[in-house]
Amino acid sequence: MADTMHNITAVAGKELRSYFASPVAWVLMGFWAVVFGYFFNVYLTYFVETGMRAGMFGGPPTLHVNTDMIRPLLGNASVLVLFVLPMLTMRSYAEEKRSGTIELLLTSPLTDVEITLGKFLGAVGVYSALLLVTLVSIVILFGLGSPEWKPIAAGYLGLLLLGSSFLALGLFISSLTANQVIAGTVTFIVALLFWIINWAADTAGPTLGPILNYLSVTQHFDDFGKGVIDTKHLVFYLSFIVFGLFLTVKSLDTERWRG
Amino acid sequence: MIEVQNLTKRYGPFTAVDDVSFRVEAGEILGFLGPNGAGKTTTMRILTGYMPATEGRAVVAGYDVFTHPVEAKRRTGYLPETPPLYPDMTVREYLTFVSHIKAGRMNRAERDERIRSVMRKTHIEDMANRACGKLSKGYRQRVGLAQALIHEPEVLILDEPTAGLDPKQIMETRDLIRSLGGTHTIVLSTHILPEVAQTCQRVVIINKGRVVAVDTPDNLTHQLKGAASLYVQVEGPADATGALQAIPGVMRVRVSDRSSGYTGYEVESEPNRDVRRDVARTVVEGGWGLVELRPMRMSLEEIFLQLTTSEQAEEARHG
Ligand SMILES: Nc1ncnc2c1ncn2[C@@H]1O[C@H](COP(=O)(O)OP(=O)(O)O)[C@@H](O)[C@H]1O
Ligand SMILES: [Mg+2]
Repeated sequence: MADTMHNITAVAGKELRSYFASPVAWVLMGFWAVVFGYFFNVYLTYFVETGMRAGMFGGPPTLHVNTDMIRPLLGNASVLVLFVLPMLTMRSYAEEKRSGTIELLLTSPLTDVEITLGKFLGAVGVYSALLLVTLVSIVILFGLGSPEWKPIAAGYLGLLLLGSSFLALGLFISSLTANQVIAGTVTFIVALLFWIINWAADTAGPTLGPILNYLSVTQHFDDFGKGVIDTKHLVFYLSFIVFGLFLTVKSLDTERWRG
Repeated sequence: MIEVQNLTKRYGPFTAVDDVSFRVEAGEILGFLGPNGAGKTTTMRILTGYMPATEGRAVVAGYDVFTHPVEAKRRTGYLPETPPLYPDMTVREYLTFVSHIKAGRMNRAERDERIRSVMRKTHIEDMANRACGKLSKGYRQRVGLAQALIHEPEVLILDEPTAGLDPKQIMETRDLIRSLGGTHTIVLSTHILPEVAQTCQRVVIINKGRVVAVDTPDNLTHQLKGAASLYVQVEGPADATGALQAIPGVMRVRVSDRSSGYTGYEVESEPNRDVRRDVARTVVEGGWGLVELRPMRMSLEEIFLQLTTSEQAEEARHG
């Protein structure tokens, strides 16, 4: 057990180091910070102006910082995740296969599960760093007003789970190819499908409709955005992650047989 | 230490390794010799647990590589055909990472000492802080070797360890491999023939996925030659053929070269019969003046040619 933990940590540490040693993580982080900062600015301006107008005309204070500012902001962050995370996982297996370092990993006394979990945790680590960057703006809001922290925490948990699901998906797709551009593109397309799958739900009929709705990753995020942590959503995301990682492990094994 | 039984690997309909069996004793250096595409890399990848065989069994350091891969891998150091380096990492960072995944937990001082020691052995201390991606071919190969040694494995599998190196680096690498023999069991593959003669105690010759011959470099020479030959050079244009032919045990004598003042003879004797003393005495008693006397050995290169050509000839016959 201790050995398993050691092996996973070793792989995760190496992943983290290689993310930050290459420009990829920094470019993504810059992109992420700029776009998130832009949204933050837009919502803040809107929030402040509307609030002022309401104050001026003596209307009721209609806006609340949690529901009218933070919620849509995190909603936007969740869209951003869709674009950013495929770029994070596209390298993970594809590049090891291209360069031949996969031969080092697969001939080391590691299990496929340890390798996969290590890579997954490394990617989650980088993603968490992205989320941490956005916390800066939340801290600013705490300085300006007094938002409730519980819905914020729920929103971030939702973002973490949503993102981790995409990371698991991205790892699996990266394990199928030696070409990181293909890995990134396919991951984006598949993630997008999971994103919009519920659009077809209304027209899909009474049996398929609910299934499509259930598979929609956004559908499960909404409640987190509202500050509600519902076990059924937790179960959905955790199953998604476990299934994605399971497929990745299987794919490594199949790759072995194919040679 | 290594036991390979009836190993077969098929890629789809193509058979890359065909019913290969051999053993390697503890401390031995075994050469895996064959032309490109013979199946050397495939066999080594099976032995190191990178891929499973289609049929057959391989036991490394007492563990079946299919049923107990982790135990077998813990005892095996592997240098793949291309050294598996991460270009962004420095040599020290890389060896630290490999020590973590291969040697498991140990305290910091022990790990640092382990890394220092393999860097010393493979002469890469000067490169410790250089990014792996910025190393020359020779250094990449050495870091690859260092990586294979880091968990102090009993067994070393080296896939073309001298490929792409310059002559000086080749000499150094062979010396290093020889120095590791005895304390390690080593299998090295090569398609360069003199390499096995210089480095290995035993040779497995493989061609088109099949084992063609297994023996010591010396025995292979004898086996093919059947008889032993001597090269004798004497002074003067004298004809010593008759006198040499008369020596008991000598089967055949022919003039192999003639230069101004010297004549060279090839003397073929019966197997396992040493006629050198008699040849020397005959030359001196005949008053010719002995210039040179040495055993002739067919080089592995010739053996190899012979083996592969005869195989090809056989195939051509069967159409
Ligand atoms: N992944 C693969 N898929 C299909 N054929 C392969 C694969 N790897 C190797 N081969 C084929 O198997 C044969 C043996 O290859 P290899 O083991 O690399 O030989 P060597 O190392 O002796 O040069 C070659 O004909 C090669 O083309
Ligand atoms: Mg090869």
